[in-house]
Amino acid sequence: MTFAVILLVLLVVACAVGSFVKQGQTFDWYAASYSETAAAWIMALRLNDTFHSWWFIAITAFLCGNLLLCNVFRLGTLIRRTKSFGDAGNAAKRAADASVSGVSDPESVFAALRMPKPQQSETDGIKILYSSKHRIGLWGAWVCHIGILLLILGFGLGQMTKQEYSVYGVPGQTRPIGDTGLFLSINDFRIDLRDDDTVEQYTADVTVWRVPQGSTTEPDEQRAVISVNHPGRMFGMTFYQNATGWAAKVDVTKSGEPLQSEIVCAGEYLPIADKKELVVYFNAFYPDYALVPGEGPKTVSGRLNRPAYLYSVYYLGELLGMNALTQGETITIDDYEVSFSEPQNYTLIQIKRDAFTSVAFAGGVVTMIGLLLAFYILPQSVWAMPAEDGTWTVYAESKKRRAMLRDELERAVSATKLKITGETDAQG
Amino acid sequence: MLRVENTLFTIVMLLYFAAMILYFVFIAVKKNPIAKAAVILQTAGLVLHTAALICRGIGAGRLPLTNQYEFATAFAWGLCLVSLIFVYRFRFPVLGAFAAPIIFLVIGYAAMQSKDVHELMPALKSNWLGFHVSTAIIAYGSFGVSFVLSILFLLRDKAKEGGFFDTHIPSREKLDLISYRSVALGLLFLTFTIITGAIWAERAWGSYWSWDPKETWSLVTWIIFAIYLHLRIRRGWHGKAAAIFAVIGFVCMIFTYIGVNTFLPGVHSYR
Repeated sequence: MTFAVILLVLLVVACAVGSFVKQGQTFDWYAASYSETAAAWIMALRLNDTFHSWWFIAITAFLCGNLLLCNVFRLGTLIRRTKSFGDAGNAAKRAADASVSGVSDPESVFAALRMPKPQQSETDGIKILYSSKHRIGLWGAWVCHIGILLLILGFGLGQMTKQEYSVYGVPGQTRPIGDTGLFLSINDFRIDLRDDDTVEQYTADVTVWRVPQGSTTEPDEQRAVISVNHPGRMFGMTFYQNATGWAAKVDVTKSGEPLQSEIVCAGEYLPIADKKELVVYFNAFYPDYALVPGEGPKTVSGRLNRPAYLYSVYYLGELLGMNALTQGETITIDDYEVSFSEPQNYTLIQIKRDAFTSVAFAGGVVTMIGLLLAFYILPQSVWAMPAEDGTWTVYAESKKRRAMLRDELERAVSATKLKITGETDAQG
Repeated sequence: MLRVENTLFTIVMLLYFAAMILYFVFIAVKKNPIAKAAVILQTAGLVLHTAALICRGIGAGRLPLTNQYEFATAFAWGLCLVSLIFVYRFRFPVLGAFAAPIIFLVIGYAAMQSKDVHELMPALKSNWLGFHVSTAIIAYGSFGVSFVLSILFLLRDKAKEGGFFDTHIPSREKLDLISYRSVALGLLFLTFTIITGAIWAERAWGSYWSWDPKETWSLVTWIIFAIYLHLRIRRGWHGKAAAIFAVIGFVCMIFTYIGVNTFLPGVHSYR
């Protein structure tokens, strides 16, 4: 157990470090935020990715091994204890946590302690009344350990095998889903706003399909409406409405002739079709644009009252200029004219396949059952043996309630108006 | 309805304050009727506090468990509820005397937060919200009570024979058992909180565990109390060492609740 406690303490320290050191940053970031020496240590110890570092995984693996061995070694003892707990023949040999002597009607004490009706047996010529309850509680910690093992196993296997993709676009667009051979078409995307401009819900209507290959019994197309907190399930994968942003139609003309027309999302680059070294970057979109002195460009609401597009133009990687265009305005670069129009929201769909999520959740449920058994189904046995003077001595055992058991026995005796002669077992 | 809630909240604060003062008087003059009066005041506070939370829920049109003010006032409610359960169950008014200042501090913290009612962001609009946050409140309340009991356990060692602590506080063995029961309740509910949170996160964010600071520190708190449970059954470590771990666990829990939101913002940083 000492080893388990040490591992748990190490996990606590690792988690604390992982939460305080910003994860996933570069050496330069840590050097700028802390110092070069600290950055070197962070990178050497992989504190920049604590929860995936070899030492964090090693601690978790040792903990799993410890839990497994603990359960294996305890299994035999637990089975024996469970059997003997219900066996009246062993009662006389067991150490009680509390006892009362001089009892004339032991069955009333059993009843007052809310024990099942006692069974009568005889061992070595001694008559014993015996009753036990909640034996299953002996298995609480064992079941809890199994649950934790399942949880860690499910999480670990999920991390190793899960597939994750993200697809974004505006209604009407179709995009491939990674290397799955599947395509996602966005049929519709809606943002429901409340009167105060706060968002009520993001809803996307999507179709996932694949090019049919010969005869197959599986449907080639599935459709779902997904929103935040309501993911969709298609082709064995889960689809989440993850994020949104603004997109716009960008038209490029050359010497007055249409050259290019594309939907571009904010944050995307658009190379000019016949002059790739000339690139337009769509920085941001402001649906209700206002230029506030001292604050720069901002949007005063989420409504499309005065749309404006912040853009940058690059040539051979060098920034030529940056500005905001309002509706109808154009950028002129030599023979080229660029304009933005038709602002609309794009949706970002997250797609995941993790076959082990259910294992992890099953582990969680088993852990809960284990804790319930360990904390609230407390094993208790009560037995009574006759004394030479014709009265009975009543014994009780409940390891997790020792301190209360004596009081309860005393109360049970008072309730049945029996005479207490004192005596509590040294084990209690 | 929100105006009624506001009035009730003020009355509740006054009742908790009055109960705390009466508890202090009880410790000073050692008269049991004063302790009884304090328990009655605290119980009345809890009843009105429940009414205030219901009014808030009706006024907001949703479960009142989504921002710092709402969680803080609900935390104070949970702490008061669990402490009173233990006070009545174990006939132990001194527990109330030590829990009352913490309840008053927490409700005082709630009073300092914005009481504005905001509409929920889409991620928070889920039936899991009720399960996740209400179980967290019971867990936090239970750990608060275990903290008080552990402090009493540590103080008990220094009690003079026949003195106030000796006569009004249960034996070390009983204190240890009551503290264990409180930790057990807290750990069970914290496990439920983490599991329901994971299920909800899976539906809302597509990942049931992403090492967000709140998640990480909930796990830290869980592990600390798991260590407490292991130490308690280990010969030579139970008693004082376990009590110290229960105190550390409560400090971690407070950090999970307030510290993480302040110092380690993540996806749980709802204001």
